Amino acid sequence: MSTTTTRVAPRWTVVPDDPAVEPSKELVGGKAWSLWRMRSLGLPVPPAFVVTTEACRAYFAEGGLPAGLEGELVAGIRLLERELDRTFGGTERPLLVSVRSGAAVSMPGMMDTILDLGMNPDVEAALAAEAGDATFAAEVHRRFCGFYGRQVLGCTEELEDLPDTDAVRRAIADDVTEEIPADPWEQLRAAVGAVFASSRSRRAVAYRKHWGIRDDLGTAVTVQAMVFGNLDDSSGTGVLFTRSPVDGTREPYGEYLPRGQGEDVVSGRITPRPLTDLAERLPAVHDELLTAARRLDDEGRDAQDIEFTVQHGSLYLLQSRPAKRTARAAVRIARALVREGTLTPAEAVRRVNAEQAVSLLRPEIDGDAAAAATLLAAGAAASPGVATGVVVGTAEEAQRHPGSVLARHTTSPEDVQGMIAASAVITEVGGTTSHAAVVGRALDVPCVVGCGAGVVASLAGRTVTVDATSGRIYDGEIAVTAADECADDDLVELTAWADEFSPVRVLAADGEAACRLGPVFDGDTVDPEALGDGVPTIPPGATAVRGAVFQSADGARAALDAGVGTIVATRRLPVLLAAIAHHDAHGRTA
Amino acid sequence: MLEPHQLALHTLTLRQLASAEQAAHINGLPEADVATALDRAVADGHAITARGSYMITPAGRSHLDGLYVDAFAAIRSDDEIGAAMESFEEGVNKQVLALTTEWQTVDVDGVPTPNDHSDSDRDAKILDRLGRVLEKTRKVLAPLATADPLLDRFADRLDAALTRAEGGETDHVSGVRVDSVHTVWFQMHEHVLRLTGRERPE
Repeated sequence: MSTTTTRVAPRWTVVPDDPAVEPSKELVGGKAWSLWRMRSLGLPVPPAFVVTTEACRAYFAEGGLPAGLEGELVAGIRLLERELDRTFGGTERPLLVSVRSGAAVSMPGMMDTILDLGMNPDVEAALAAEAGDATFAAEVHRRFCGFYGRQVLGCTEELEDLPDTDAVRRAIADDVTEEIPADPWEQLRAAVGAVFASSRSRRAVAYRKHWGIRDDLGTAVTVQAMVFGNLDDSSGTGVLFTRSPVDGTREPYGEYLPRGQGEDVVSGRITPRPLTDLAERLPAVHDELLTAARRLDDEGRDAQDIEFTVQHGSLYLLQSRPAKRTARAAVRIARALVREGTLTPAEAVRRVNAEQAVSLLRPEIDGDAAAAATLLAAGAAASPGVATGVVVGTAEEAQRHPGSVLARHTTSPEDVQGMIAASAVITEVGGTTSHAAVVGRALDVPCVVGCGAGVVASLAGRTVTVDATSGRIYDGEIAVTAADECADDDLVELTAWADEFSPVRVLAADGEAACRLGPVFDGDTVDPEALGDGVPTIPPGATAVRGAVFQSADGARAALDAGVGTIVATRRLPVLLAAIAHHDAHGRTA
Repeated sequence: MLEPHQLALHTLTLRQLASAEQAAHINGLPEADVATALDRAVADGHAITARGSYMITPAGRSHLDGLYVDAFAAIRSDDEIGAAMESFEEGVNKQVLALTTEWQTVDVDGVPTPNDHSDSDRDAKILDRLGRVLEKTRKVLAPLATADPLLDRFADRLDAALTRAEGGETDHVSGVRVDSVHTVWFQMHEHVLRLTGRERPE
């Protein structure tokens, strides 16, 4: 009633909760737009409000938060309080919020997320009493101090691994002059200002300059209520995959942690239970979750990975994103989405990349043969695959004898050419994050690291088989088994689609068509020492190429750029997919 | 410090098989000077050349080891630089390698799987952390950067690689054939190890 209050339309904030009113992405940013999308689909997300990009521009024009914003922050928080029946800074049922940046287009270099804002010693005590868990409340406080210290106060020390709130506060005090304010409202105003300021950070400016993006777009700030899964027996947290991430089967798959909170999923503090546990405890919530999952899978047109929390028996979806998946699952999901009528074949071939096709077709060591073989050395598997070759101890030898197994104590930049020429790489010391491991994975060369001192000397000159999937090195040559791209239904269909949309013809090396080709430039005939880490120069006028280098993604791209019409390959799918991806990214004018 | 022609030869330990242009990109010297210096190194038996690319020889390596003793004497006896290197190896170097590994590999239900870059949020978070580590690296290596201006050039190249990765050129994090974050980091790591006379830990 207008007789009691005069409602003035907010100037700097938007509440994205009306399904009928689509907010402008330019005004509220991509993250808040996604929240609105979820709400408009009838999906339960924690309530939120947004400080707009216009407020950001005003922040820079006025040198601080614009007049009127402070009152609108209060109004926004009151809305979240009402919806959840909690109080910001309260000593009973306290409300905590997350504060996130969000621009219309992705903008790296900005402040990302502050969780658990609104925390102070009194709020910690209230949360401890409510959850009946002082450790949890202390942990929330510690995490908040880390987020705030790093992102608002600009502390550059790593704060995540410190044991408690006092340690975090001390580390902040050692590095910067400001402290974390106890007043939640002051925390909120400072956090909003810090998000705005971060849109002009050195890295954000460098990014926009390099990519030619306007400098005055600014960022919005999303303020969203935190929900907790450990408040009582009808609370919990979990994750759901709409399809199996391992084999791609369309079947909900996931974990539920009764009385669990976000970080418990990774910490192992609570043993995760299958989703059926949720179905038994809270059947209505389980049904609502599965309905939401189907909806998100359809809307997203892809397998989704959904994080959710149940607070006092109410379901909240925290995040939904395209699910991670094995190469096998990627192929199966792409094909299934075409069958379900969700994707066209042209879209499906863009859902699987060349690296995934390579890993799917990668030979594996024959288990029986390996069991009978002599084990010479073992280390940590750093880049998967199997290769047999003669062991050499220097990069120069590996370059002179392509296909050797390069063994080094450690690797330096001078070994990179040798690693390119080698069929496998082993090192004496180092772990799966050593330089050798990183380069091995980047080159897709099988790599076993940390095999122990003396391995270079003891293996030099011997023929060995490196099983870089298990991290073992065997004496002599051992049989391998490989998936056949012509024998697997999923691969056959995907390859047929890829043929249709590829900008270049890819012929099987053992096929008839390849034999009938005229002159073919063979990359394998180029002296590897002259080649370095590059791709051989394709002679002008060459219409067809073959050789190992053109079967890598880099090689396929180079062939395309040189205007080659035909690539001959032992495995066709990876080359086809690399060609399609390269054409999409760069080749439209070609 | 090294004389420019000595720096040109030293650059061949940071990138095997480099053209004068590629070496100049790393050491920041004029390309013509690098070509002259490397041709002279070839004449001295310190390098070999084929089709426009240069490669250091074992004699060239020993020659450099001899030069380092005097050229880097001040750096190697500086306690502040020693502490900076300790912090570099134990801190930011491990973080960069762990982050590039995380960039390359996704854990799918216990199965290490190549990152297909379909989850842009995950990628963005890793790049964000990488960006913070690169900013911190400038701080950590500040004492060394005062002694050797090439450190700033490495830092700028790292930032440039990150900016390209942020724009979707995913091979600019760990790609081998481009000036990726890891390619530049690997070169910088070798450079600072040689400067300070330390052993590569892994």
